[in-house]
Amino acid sequence: MSGESSARMRTILLHAGAVAMALWILVPIYFITAAAFSTQEAVFGYPKPLVPQISTGTLEFFLGASGVLPSFRRSVVVAFVTLGLAVAIGTPAGYALARFRFRGSDTFRLLIVSTRAFPIVILSIPLAVTFIRFGIDDSSFGLALMHTALALPFTVLVTSSVFAGISEELEEAAMTLGCNRLTAFRKVVLPLALPGLAAAAIFTWIISWNEVFAASILTLRNRTLPAQVLAALTQSPLPFQFAGGFVLLAPALVVIFVIRKYLFSLWGRVSR
Amino acid sequence: MSRNRSVNRWVALAFGLVLLAVGCAGDGEGGTGAETASPGPEAAETPAETPDETPAETPAAQDSGPVTFFSTQLAPVEESEKVRNTILAGFPGEVDFVGADNYGAWVDRITAEAEAGEGTIDLLGGLHGDFVSLGTERLTDVSDLMSELSDRGFSEDYVELANLGTDTPYYIPWMQATYIVVANKQALEHLPDGADVEALTYEQYAEWAANIFDATGQAKVGFPAGEDGLLPRFFQGYLLPAFTGGVVTTFGESDAAWEWMRGIWEHTHPQSVGFGFMQDPLLSEEVWVAWDHVARLKNALEQRPDDFVAVPAPAGPEGRAFMPVVAGLAIPATAPSPQGAQDLIAYMAELETQATTLREVGFFPVVEGDLPEDLSAGIQLEADAVRMQTEAEDALPSLLPIGLGDAGGDFNKIFADTFTRIILNGEEIGPVLERQAEALQALMEETGASCWQPDPPSDGPCQVG
Repeated sequence: MSGESSARMRTILLHAGAVAMALWILVPIYFITAAAFSTQEAVFGYPKPLVPQISTGTLEFFLGASGVLPSFRRSVVVAFVTLGLAVAIGTPAGYALARFRFRGSDTFRLLIVSTRAFPIVILSIPLAVTFIRFGIDDSSFGLALMHTALALPFTVLVTSSVFAGISEELEEAAMTLGCNRLTAFRKVVLPLALPGLAAAAIFTWIISWNEVFAASILTLRNRTLPAQVLAALTQSPLPFQFAGGFVLLAPALVVIFVIRKYLFSLWGRVSR
Repeated sequence: MSRNRSVNRWVALAFGLVLLAVGCAGDGEGGTGAETASPGPEAAETPAETPDETPAETPAAQDSGPVTFFSTQLAPVEESEKVRNTILAGFPGEVDFVGADNYGAWVDRITAEAEAGEGTIDLLGGLHGDFVSLGTERLTDVSDLMSELSDRGFSEDYVELANLGTDTPYYIPWMQATYIVVANKQALEHLPDGADVEALTYEQYAEWAANIFDATGQAKVGFPAGEDGLLPRFFQGYLLPAFTGGVVTTFGESDAAWEWMRGIWEHTHPQSVGFGFMQDPLLSEEVWVAWDHVARLKNALEQRPDDFVAVPAPAGPEGRAFMPVVAGLAIPATAPSPQGAQDLIAYMAELETQATTLREVGFFPVVEGDLPEDLSAGIQLEADAVRMQTEAEDALPSLLPIGLGDAGGDFNKIFADTFTRIILNGEEIGPVLERQAEALQALMEETGASCWQPDPPSDGPCQVG
């Protein structure tokens, strides 16, 4: 009897905790969304109605402002180029770290992580100078290179743990059955690693989508969405800040929603 | 078996995603090329509006592609849209107006272009203080343009400021603004007896704050004392000169001013230390009475002109001190199209453009001429308050610091620190003022700045009193 009631108690506590955590995330999202779809006056009104009067005025003005839609498109482009480059460069490096023991592999690993130890703020002006000199500043490709550099440590370390989670014996077995290392990788390891790789790739995409500092210093007329939002909204009145927040939030939510299964698979592997 | 199937499903899904990614990346790169080739949609819109207008008049602006205009002013989304679609609509060339969200982003970009020796930016818009901190070596000498535009009637003070402490001008005055007080009409019934809201004294202002507090139980007077707020300007341009008649030379005698600040702080909205732009708390009615820069009050007046009054800043024993601020236009040394930039500056300094600027964004003309009469209700309130403040009998203009070079930030910091120590930390006024006066004197010696209005002129560095 007491066991049953303590089990019930645990269930209630668990559910209460889950609800609290969900509210912690959802309430701000609700307020941002509600404010983004309210009239300018209603944003300042108090007390707020639970279901706001819907008005898309602020949101339309923001989306219609010069440079916002192109910056949205540019953000998507930069994020996909970053994804492609980071996976193309990061996956082989991750595989090498997982499979081969070579002199200096630990140092190599440390070196990769240490690139993230430099605050990009102190690098901003030299970076911009270099980009201008190479003629790749203010371009989506140049920014994607920068984002690749920022995302690579993550890609390399995650892919290496993905590969480490796939038994080496399978690969050796394939090689005894007539595969060389390349075909063994293609036919055995890659299919098993794909979910993890896909998750790592999508995370790279999100790193690029969210990045604002490099985007602000390396672009001027061709800004990405976060840089555009920062420039146009930092000093704007609250209603526009909510509209901008919603525009940034919505695509990220959609992406996370679509890939949530892959993310769970990634965490499963990493924690193994 | 089921594990196998689920793995297969993962693989299929992942393949789909990767294919999608690769496909889109391909598309994307194509898009990138197209975007860099054309100057972007903002620029594309401008010529569409003025297709055939006087292309012959300013051939330089036409030939050299769009003029890239990078500005710390008018960066918020509504203002920059008005700049692109209305203020710049009459300019025959293409203009790419890019706003910088803060001074740091602006100066970093300009510095990077200067160090690289090549740039994209043709024209810089900024406050006088922005150019002071940027320094002259990254800017082009604009004396020719200044003399060309001498018939526009810029005030002598502004022309002097544009020299940035040298003998030649480095920017052309663009527009001006100042700071005023905006009050919710609900606050008017709590005014002290006999007080005229359009001619308040500091004493009445503090009493007003106390009355509101007593009547409502809430502190509803606000100051922009947050990180983005402009409170140091309140001390430099308003409170201290109004109480002492000076800023630097009388700094040591400003006990009464700080005493006043300490008094009103008890009835000041506690969130003030987080406020940046006072229009937001005014609109949400958290605050009823606020002092701030006109551009940071404009939205409240524009949105609800019937609910607010705009009035001059209070007067102290020495007069109704106020600070005019000026923004300017400069050409960076690395501008790819300096001729286009010059044409644009000349256009911005036309009376008609200046009137449009006032109508659309609430910044006042720097050229001679009558103010336009068809102002919106909100801008009209603002314009009336500014006029009352400037033309008040006891008006005491208090200029922006002159000759401090790139130490303008340190100057602000001295006032911000004094505020923090006396008001927020509750330290004793006398000793704090003594220490801060030493810091101020050191700054004056270091920069060699002579006194500026309202302090009396000095030979050599201004002496802190």
